Formats: sequence, C-alpha cells, structure tokens
Amino acid sequence: MTGRAERIGLLALPGLSFLAVIYALPLFMLLLKSVQIDGQFSFAEYVAFFSDSYNLSVLWRTLRVALLTTGLALIIAYPTAIIMARAKGFWLSVFLVAMVLPMSVGVVVKAFAWTILFRTRGVLNDTLMSLGITDAPIRMLFTETALIIGAANVFLPFMVLPIYAVLRQMDSRLPEAAASLGATPVFRFMNVTFPLSLPGVVAGCAFTFSLAISMYVIPSLIVGERQQTLSMLTARSFLYLRNEALGATISSILLLIAISVVLTSSWAANRLGARQ
Amino acid sequence: MAPPAPRDMGDSKYLDVTAVGKAFKGTSVMSGMDFRVGRGELVSLLGPSGCGKTTLLRIIAGLTTADSGEVLLDGRAITSAPAHKRNISVVFQSYALFPHLTVAENVAFGLRARGHAKTDCGPKVAEALALVRMSDFAERKVAALSGGQQQRVAVARALIVDPVLLLLDEPFSALDRKLRETMQVELKTLLRDRNMTAIFVTHDQDEAMGVSDRIAVMNAGQIEQFATPSELYARPASAFVMDFVGLSTRLNGEVIESTENRSTIRSAYGTVHAPGTFVPGTEVTIGVRPELVKTRAAENTLRVTLADAMVLGSKTQLHGRAEAGDCLLCEVPGMNSDYAPGDTVTFGWDVADTLVYETGT
Repeated sequence: MTGRAERIGLLALPGLSFLAVIYALPLFMLLLKSVQIDGQFSFAEYVAFFSDSYNLSVLWRTLRVALLTTGLALIIAYPTAIIMARAKGFWLSVFLVAMVLPMSVGVVVKAFAWTILFRTRGVLNDTLMSLGITDAPIRMLFTETALIIGAANVFLPFMVLPIYAVLRQMDSRLPEAAASLGATPVFRFMNVTFPLSLPGVVAGCAFTFSLAISMYVIPSLIVGERQQTLSMLTARSFLYLRNEALGATISSILLLIAISVVLTSSWAANRLGARQ
Repeated sequence: MAPPAPRDMGDSKYLDVTAVGKAFKGTSVMSGMDFRVGRGELVSLLGPSGCGKTTLLRIIAGLTTADSGEVLLDGRAITSAPAHKRNISVVFQSYALFPHLTVAENVAFGLRARGHAKTDCGPKVAEALALVRMSDFAERKVAALSGGQQQRVAVARALIVDPVLLLLDEPFSALDRKLRETMQVELKTLLRDRNMTAIFVTHDQDEAMGVSDRIAVMNAGQIEQFATPSELYARPASAFVMDFVGLSTRLNGEVIESTENRSTIRSAYGTVHAPGTFVPGTEVTIGVRPELVKTRAAENTLRVTLADAMVLGSKTQLHGRAEAGDCLLCEVPGMNSDYAPGDTVTFGWDVADTLVYETGT
C-alpha cells in the first residue's frame, strides 16, 4: 500500500516543480532580501519597520480591516449558506450562479462599481438626500467602512461556499431529531447546526482573512493613498521608493501572518473534524 | 419516569388522527386518513415503500405539516403545534445521533433542551444508559459505536425525556438479521415495562408481527386493515393484506357457480370451492395460508407438479409450478426430504380455510 501511495505521490511532481521554480524560489530570494544588509545577515530592517509608528498604524489598520471584513462577510454569508443548503433545483442554480459569476468580473470593475455607489454624488447619497434623510452628502468613499463593505462583497463567495458545502452534507435528520427532543429553533441552531458547520466557518474565515489582509486593488480604488495598507506599502516600497529591503520585509510580515492563519485554521479544522 | 397505566386497544383514542390529507407537489400521498392508537399500545404502520407510512409518522411527530385533518393526543389538538412542543420522541432509521457529541451528551440532549443544567443531567443519563445497557460507553464518540449500540443510544435519548409517544421509523432496518431479532425482543420488553405508547414504521412484516399489539397495513395512502397480528394473518381484509402479511397459496379464477355462502371457482389447476356468495362470472383471487395446505386430499384438492422443495429447518416448503401471478405453496412441519422437484403431489385444504377476494378490490 505504502509503495503504491508513494508512486501515486509522484503524480504531484510536475506541479510541485512548477511551483518550486515559479513561486518558491523567487519567494525565498525575496525573504532573503529582508534579512540581508550588504551581504550580512541582519534583522535591522524588521527593527526599523517596527520602530516606525506610521508602519505600526498601517499594520494595525490592515489587521483591523481584514478582521472586520471577515466578520462582516461571515454575518452575510452564514444565512445565505443556510438558504442555499436548503434550496433545490432552479433556486439552487440561481444562488450558485449568483455566487460564482461575480468572480469572473474583475476586482477592478467591482471596486469601481462601489465607487459609483459611495461617491459624494453617488447612488447612495442621492437616494439619502432625495429621501430627506440627510441634507448634505455623507462622506462614504475613502472611508474604512466603505473599504470593509466593498471587500466583504468581493470576498463573499469564499465565505459562502465552504459553509454551504458543510451544511449541505449535514444529515437533515439531525435538526429534526433535536426538534423531536424538545429543542427550540434557537437551541437547535446553537447546539446542532452551528457546531456542525464550524469546519466550514473556519475554512471560510481563513480564505477571507488571507484575501483581505493582502488585498491591494480594492483599498487602492476605494480609499486611495491616504490610508495605506501593508500591500499598498509593499507596492510603494518597490515601485516608488525603490526600497527593496523594506518591500521584502513587509512582504515577509504579510506572509508570516498568512501562514499563521492557515496553520491555526487547519489545526482548528482538524480538531473540529476529530470531534465528529 | 411515568407510572404504568392500564393498556387499551384504541378505545380511548389516546392518539387520534382524523381525516388527515397530505400532497407533495400536487401528488396526493394520503387523504382522509383516520388512525387511532390506545394508551400503552405498540402499533406498527406496515406497508411497501411509498405507501405514506413515513409521511403519517412525520405528521404525528410534527416534522411534516398536514394539508388537512386533525391530530389529537390525549384529547389535546396538536395539529399545528411545532415538533419541539409535542413531547413526541422519534427514533430515526439512521438513528440521527449528534456526531459532535459523546454518547452521554447525546442522551442528555433532550434534558438540556428543556433547560436542565448540564451538571443536573448526570443521574438521569446514567439511568437511561443503564436501561439500554450502554453505561460503559458514556464517554465514547457515537461514530465509534456499532449499529446496535447506536440504536440503543437513540432509544435512550428518546426515552429520557418521558415522551408521551414514541415514534420509530424503520428502527431495525440498518441491523443485520440476528441482531435485529435480539433488538426487537429487547426493545419490546423495554417499552412494555414502561407502558410506552409507540408507533413503529416498517416494511418488514416479521418485524411488525413481532413487536406490535396491532398492525395497520397501508397501501397507497390508505389503511387497508388495522388489526392484531393474528387477525391480520388469519383473516386478511384484502388480497393486498394477504400478500403483504405472510405467504400464501394464491390462485386467480372465475366464479362459475355460487350458492348460499359457497362458491365454485374455476382456476387454471381445476375447480376449487370457497366460502362466500358471488355473482357467477366474477373474477376472484383465492388464497390459503401454506401451513393449512396438506399433502393429501381434502375439500379442495389440486394435483401439483413441484418446482422446488426447500428444507428450511423447522419447516419444509413445497413450491408448485404455477402460472404468472399465481402461487402454489405448501408448508409441512420439520425437515422432510421425501419431495423432489418434478414430483407430482396432492395439495388439499378445507373450504373454511379458503380466503377469497374479488379481483381488483
């Protein structure tokens, strides 16, 4: 068996070597740049990064935006996933298409759509003013709120689909058994449906958080240069400041965060999986 | 848990289902369904798949809403009460144990749903697990249990809340034959001791005969007959019930002569006599239970060529060559190897033992 499994493993070789050359090697060279000053091994770039209060505020904003985006996406995605898991035939197709199709529209297009909605004389402000809710336009574009709403929208499918997949597989008899044992709908959700959906929630949050922490186009278009995120800072370092060491350092920090998210979530998913 | 009360056979209408109808996507599953069960009775809904037995069970449990009609339990209308307010426990075919909880947590679920603190459930959970002899498994994951153990846990989980009614949907079908028979005896004793009113849904006639006080045989959304197992077997109300409950010799024929309470019927194997009066020319189906058929001449006698002789241990089955739709079957007690396929044998039985039904009813 082991021999056979090992030989099947050989099938991954082309993919792995492709990744090694195209992805891992340049990444390694990039990481190397962050710990090398004039050919000497040094953490000076990291020390410099973390002693600059502006960098820290960008780091904090990036984390905050990613967390809030993940949270908002989860709140919107969970009910959607429940409805999709119960949908059949035509309506299920409608939901799946509605989830997948927007992914084929570029992020740029979607972010621009949000600017149309959010700008000073945009759809939202015009509506609010014509309804008499506000007299003057509210500043929405270039705010963190707009960024979080826009990002949650773009990343929604990555939250909905894993949760949907888990809920869909759940035995529909389980909530029924719970009901027959006297559990109210709320008790049923809290003690059966939600705990059983946790692996999907963990996966969805890991996807969304990883995407949100490294997003570049959406913040560039919705909030612009004034409120930097780590990705924007990285791009600036490479493209404008021509400071490769700084860019490499920020990239490494981003990568570290992403790796810890992936490891934590896979650990959590394993634990939850083992419980079942 | 509940003190024993005298058992009755449906007179008290403890569970009273009246004129219930249900359609799925315009296709009627049942209409005008009436079904009454007495307190402490063990009843089976027996029928082929698609006959509506599971739908009726789900309507009683509150998991499916009826389109019309009423369900009363102990004189209280529960037709529109949600499942969680009915105090009716359900044991599902797949057992539907919660995979993220341990055996003890599964059993405690109903108590916790009723607002008991986790710590207060201990003694009752221990008692319920002892009842189904699963005390040693309290801390196990349910996925680590065998089918029989899962069923015991499902029963303990259902009984711990003192339900007013227990519903079991094909509870034994996931078990192998030997275990199934053991579990049937075990469960029946358990429910009897607690004077539990229970309804089993099953397509297995042996199971229904084994566990029930009364059996409702269902076909195409209707109850064809609701009677004790012996009554069902000895006096089936229709050819469908006769076929569904037990084996029988079964012939199609035409009434050629009918006097008062005795008809002469022409079949493909010769004329036979049956009780009852019919208009000559009526197409009928006649049946005889195989153990009432003897291998000697009697009031009705047929000469039969054997297709097979099966020695089954406690009995030997003789299968005669018959036309499509007919069945010639005789059971002789014990192991009997006197017969071989191709032998010509006499099948004989009495008129009084002959069941007769108009074809198509």
